[in-house]
Amino acid sequence: MSSLPYGPPVRVSPLIRFGRWSFLTVGIVYGAFHQNRLSKKEERLREIEAKEKPIRDAKLAAEKALASAAEIKALEEMVNKKLGSTTLRINWHKYLLNE
Amino acid sequence: MAAIPGLINSTIAAARPKFAIFMKYAKVELAPPKLSELPQIKAGIGKLLSSAKSGAWRDLTVKQATLNTLVGAEVLFWFYIGECIGKRHLVGYDV
Repeated sequence: MSSLPYGPPVRVSPLIRFGRWSFLTVGIVYGAFHQNRLSKKEERLREIEAKEKPIRDAKLAAEKALASAAEIKALEEMVNKKLGSTTLRINWHKYLLNE
Repeated sequence: MAAIPGLINSTIAAARPKFAIFMKYAKVELAPPKLSELPQIKAGIGKLLSSAKSGAWRDLTVKQATLNTLVGAEVLFWFYIGECIGKRHLVGYDV
C-alpha cells in the first residue's frame, strides 16, 4: 500500500459496508419491481386508450359538425332578417357546407 | 472538430492512474462485507438498537451526531442508486 497517495485506506466499519450493500440490493429489487408493475399498468392504460380513441374521435367530429351547422343556421337567419323578405334569400348552407 | 478525439484520448490517459488509485481504495473501503464479519455486523446492529432504546444516542456531541447523520444519509443514498439501476432509468420510471 506504499503507492497510495492519501495514506492507507480507511477500515470502514462492517456495519456501514453491510448497510450500503444491502440498501443497494434492496434498491435494485425495488426499482425492478416497480418498473415492472408501472410498465404493465401503463400498457393496460394504453390499450384502453387505443380502444376508446375511435369512439371519442367520432363523438368529437359529430359535435363539431353539429356546432358548425348551428352557427351557419344562426348566420343565415341573421342575414336573411336583415335582407328582409323582399330581397333575394341566400341559401348559406349551400355555400358554406357545399350541400 | 478534429481535436475532439485527441481531447478524449488525453482525458482518458490522465484519468487512468487516478482511477487505479480509486480502485485500490475502493477494494478495501467499498468491499462487500465478508461472511466472517457477520458477528461484527450483528454487534453493530445490536449497539444501534440498544442505543436507540436506552436513549444513549442523545448523549452524543453535536459533531458526532452530525457525522453519524451524514454517514447514515450516505448509506441510505445507496438505496436510490440501486433503484436507478433496477428501473434502468436515471430520472423517473420509463414506462
